[in-house]
Amino acid sequence: MEHQRCYIYSPLESEVRPSKRQRTNIVQPQNLLAERLQTFREAWSHQEKQIQTTLENADRTTQEKILDFIKVAAQPDPEDSTTIPTGLIIAGPSIASYGPYFERLGRRIKDGTDCAYLVLSSSESPNLKTLLKNLVQKATSRAAEDDDDELLPPGASSRNGPKLLNFDLGHLQGWQKRNRAQSIVIAIQDSEAFDSNVLVEMIDLFHSWLDRLPFVLLFGIATSAESFEDRLSGNSLRYLKGQKFDVTQSDEIIEKLFSATIASAHVSLRIGPNFSRRILDRQKDHVQNVQDFLDSLKYAYMAHFYANCTSIFLKDGISFTHSSPDAFEAVRNLPSFRRWVEDKLDSLETQEIRKLLDSDRYLFDKISQQLRSSQQVLSAINIAVAFLSNVRESLQITPSVPLSSLWIRAASGEMVESPLLRETMLSIKKIPSNKFLHLLSSLRNVQEDHFSLELDTYRTELEELVKNSTDSAPLRSQHDVRNDSLRTTVVAQKVLLSKHKAALSEQDKAYSELVGRFHDEIQDYFNTTFVDPQELFLSEILIYDPKLPHIEVFQPKPRFAIERALSTPHDYLGCNCCGSSGRDGEAALSATQPATALLYQLYLESGSLINVSDLWSAFNAIGGDEDSESKTMALFQRALAELKYLGLVKPSRKKVDHVAKMMWKGL
Amino acid sequence: MLPDEILDQLSREFPCRELQIQQLSALYSLSLPSAPLLVAHGLTATGKTSIIRSYLALSGIPYAIINSRECITGRHLLERTVSSCLDALDEDEGGPIDRRPYARTENINALLVHLQRMLEGSGKFVLVFDGIDKQREIPPTLLPALARFGELIPNLSIILITTLALPYALHKPGVPHLHFSPYPRSSLLEILSLDPPKIFLEPPSLEQYPDYTLDAAAEDDAWLWNRFLGTVWDSLSKHAGRDLISFRNTSMRLWREFVRPIVEGQFGTRDFARLMVNRRHLFQGEDAILDRIISAPSQASLTQNGVLPTTPGKTVMKRKTIQHDLPYYSTHLLIAAYLASYNPSRTDTTYFMKHTDKRKNKRKVHTTHGVTKSKHRRIPRHLLTPSPFTLDRLLAIFRSLLEGPVPQVADLYTQIATLTSLRLLVRVGGVGSADPLDAGARWRVNFGWEWVRGLGRGVGIEVGEYLVGGVDG
Ligand SMILES: Nc1ncnc2c1ncn2[C@@H]1O[C@H](COP(=O)(O)OP(=O)(O)O)[C@@H](O)[C@H]1O
Ligand SMILES: [Mg+2]
Repeated sequence: MEHQRCYIYSPLESEVRPSKRQRTNIVQPQNLLAERLQTFREAWSHQEKQIQTTLENADRTTQEKILDFIKVAAQPDPEDSTTIPTGLIIAGPSIASYGPYFERLGRRIKDGTDCAYLVLSSSESPNLKTLLKNLVQKATSRAAEDDDDELLPPGASSRNGPKLLNFDLGHLQGWQKRNRAQSIVIAIQDSEAFDSNVLVEMIDLFHSWLDRLPFVLLFGIATSAESFEDRLSGNSLRYLKGQKFDVTQSDEIIEKLFSATIASAHVSLRIGPNFSRRILDRQKDHVQNVQDFLDSLKYAYMAHFYANCTSIFLKDGISFTHSSPDAFEAVRNLPSFRRWVEDKLDSLETQEIRKLLDSDRYLFDKISQQLRSSQQVLSAINIAVAFLSNVRESLQITPSVPLSSLWIRAASGEMVESPLLRETMLSIKKIPSNKFLHLLSSLRNVQEDHFSLELDTYRTELEELVKNSTDSAPLRSQHDVRNDSLRTTVVAQKVLLSKHKAALSEQDKAYSELVGRFHDEIQDYFNTTFVDPQELFLSEILIYDPKLPHIEVFQPKPRFAIERALSTPHDYLGCNCCGSSGRDGEAALSATQPATALLYQLYLESGSLINVSDLWSAFNAIGGDEDSESKTMALFQRALAELKYLGLVKPSRKKVDHVAKMMWKGL
Repeated sequence: MLPDEILDQLSREFPCRELQIQQLSALYSLSLPSAPLLVAHGLTATGKTSIIRSYLALSGIPYAIINSRECITGRHLLERTVSSCLDALDEDEGGPIDRRPYARTENINALLVHLQRMLEGSGKFVLVFDGIDKQREIPPTLLPALARFGELIPNLSIILITTLALPYALHKPGVPHLHFSPYPRSSLLEILSLDPPKIFLEPPSLEQYPDYTLDAAAEDDAWLWNRFLGTVWDSLSKHAGRDLISFRNTSMRLWREFVRPIVEGQFGTRDFARLMVNRRHLFQGEDAILDRIISAPSQASLTQNGVLPTTPGKTVMKRKTIQHDLPYYSTHLLIAAYLASYNPSRTDTTYFMKHTDKRKNKRKVHTTHGVTKSKHRRIPRHLLTPSPFTLDRLLAIFRSLLEGPVPQVADLYTQIATLTSLRLLVRVGGVGSADPLDAGARWRVNFGWEWVRGLGRGVGIEVGEYLVGGVDG
């Protein structure tokens, strides 16, 4: 090893190739794929519309302010012509959603003003020159799009005279002469990721051109305005003057999106509680990124319509002739179908069962009918969640629970028993009349269909009561603690603390009766509406809930996979030779394992500096082949090279014959 | 315009610069021969650019000014020089010049050839290079070459504007220099009093104060402004921001706040002494001399209820490193990074190893035993610069801070990458490789103790308990 730098390694030709395992019984997964794709598109486009409006509404206030700022900045201010108007947009740490945000902002700016809008991101601006090139290119190619008088030679570069270099802002000047934009708005998308020096030079340059080019700068900032200011040095700060704009926090937006998509009453495909919890937790723990949330949701939709052939029944107005026998076969295998049939068996509806099993036609009719009613039940749940959330909000019950977690509770069928609901109902019981009025009016917004409560009658009755009340204080119900009084009496030298109901006035009695009625009715409503969705017939078609596809696609574990492959290769190879180690998990070292895996396990056992010669003797002792040491050596060297390639070891500078351990397992 | 008229006008516009203006007019006039080269030097805001520009504009000599601030590379400077000269000559001679020969100016030789061709047979021409000492990517031969252009092209004069004198860089002895000296206090006051701002943004109604005419108002403005300037200089600008522009900015920032009691009718316009006592807090903080993008919220709201702000430097306290909430694990990653930066790695086993009894190895802040015991009083760790750490160390500390197991998902790496582009973490080692999560790379935190403490409290971790040596206060 010391005297030879390389070997020619020729492994023995292995006679038998490992047999590949194949799935043999191929069901046709592509069944009606085109129709399902179509259905997916319809379902998703509906969601997408919701998403767009939600996002735009969420942005609206801030973007409107930014727009006003730009409009004001476009008017030249004779007092202060020496600073560049600058907007600092505090957009939070979710930098991945900056792209779409600035795109929406750009659309609004172009629609609302006469300004040019150019976005620069850090990846395209490693230095000043490249930044300017991109800027010039973006500005002038945009002009080519919406400019008719292209024929005019651009500015000074006519007649084959000196040409402007492609990063010269003179291009922008020429463009500005032709287009007369009110101002040139330049958005620095992810300002933190820019090199500070580039920013400083850019600001200096723009300032120098300010007498010819009406610049307005917008900086996307993830941290805070103060730390942004701290990064700029020299005179840059004095060249900028402007305002700060706060963008809605992403968790608020996610909450809104959640209500608009997953928890909305009218969607064809529902998302299950496990999946929802997973993506919400991911938002909270890891990413906080609107884009990822939407991607996950879209992927769920795609997965459902692609992988589940019964999803074809979600198609609007599907007819029997359009569905295939396979789909019916699949439906007959659904757990919820079986449960349903068994229930029917218990009630001895054998005829019916036979028909369901034999006739596709009959099954089709049943499916269509049942899907419709199940959809209604699911919508009712979502409405009830909105209702409950509304009640809690208007009663200001603490802690305030976001709608998403209420919804998850309801979707997993845990609502009826939950302390949360009990607590809410208790608060309703105690409600004083002023809050009651407030509650009734706030509930008006909840959709009225599927909803049997006569809010208006309650309202008129309540108003009547309040009008007749002589007191200016609000009416109280009998459960209100303020109607209890504590009384202490000394009986036989013991203090007795007893509660006494204060005598209720006539009005309070009437009011209590009204509240009681209201409470009972709502209780009833909740109890009937909050059923467990998983129990519904055909819930497999209506609800998508598996987490695994999501985890595999959005939360891969690359390091874990490599470590596992190396430490327990049997998990991946599934061969007979290595798996025999008996004790689960820790597979013993054995010569049959791949050399790299073997070496890795030895590596795990050693300290942070590894003597290569020791490593070799250990390797040789286990995986060694008595007759040909050179072969073992070749395997060893290759394995070591592979570990190095994976970044696990590095030659150590401290000792020549040692390598340094770079990575520890499980981190 | 006659030379004397020019001098007059310029001296009115730019007081305290008579000497420089006179020298300019001596060196550059239409009728007399001009110096081939001049270096005009002086600190910022001493009027170099504006006076030379104004003088040349008035003198009638064709000229071009090339601003090095706007030239990205040396080549860029050359190209811009040629096109600026062509533009200037176009204007001077009325007709457009055939530009075809001047299509490319790749090096200093080409510039010389172009200039020779351009100026052949025409009159005198002045070429000004403003801020040439700050030029980016300047070829080392450019300055000496420019210094010789005047000899090679007889009707060309070159002015180099720089911050410092260029005694050696030109490799040419005997170059005339024109020094724009920094303004002393008296000159600054004189210059700034040319244009006093108003006390009353809307003039007081004429019916109420019939004798307070516009003239009287202007007189009051000038009187008060002048005394105010003196105070600002003596208390603030003398110590920091001594140049004209900084001084002007500082004064303008304070002015409105300063005159507010007058506008509100509390004091008369000439009540300077009482006004000073009332407004003295303005001159005590450093806020006014710092440049800000967002102008500090006017203190009107604070003082309206009659309460004066007690601590003028209060704005410094409310600064935050990040305004929005970070995801849960990002927070922990940052705390772990801070600890990895500030704890020596040999103490990690003491602080972060998990025992079988699951008891966390927190150290109380004031433990008597332990590493801190030494005879000398040491500087608390958190005041030192952060030291770099490896990724695996960060991840190991991160895991030991959390109670339960965290799956090894890629999201964690995404977060590290995100925190790096937010510059909360800075990569110091392994910069050469393209892989941002290269195992050999080293990292450092880029935030301070105060902030990480707050961050830790948000997720229920008292960071000080994990910090070797503890933190006092
Ligand atoms: N003597 C002066 N009188 C009036 N204004 C002056 C005077 N000197 C400088 N200024 C002003 O100061 C500002 C900065 O001047 P500038 O010529 O750019 O300085 P420099 O080029 O030396 O940095 C300009 O607005 C200029 O009008
Ligand atoms: Mg200058």
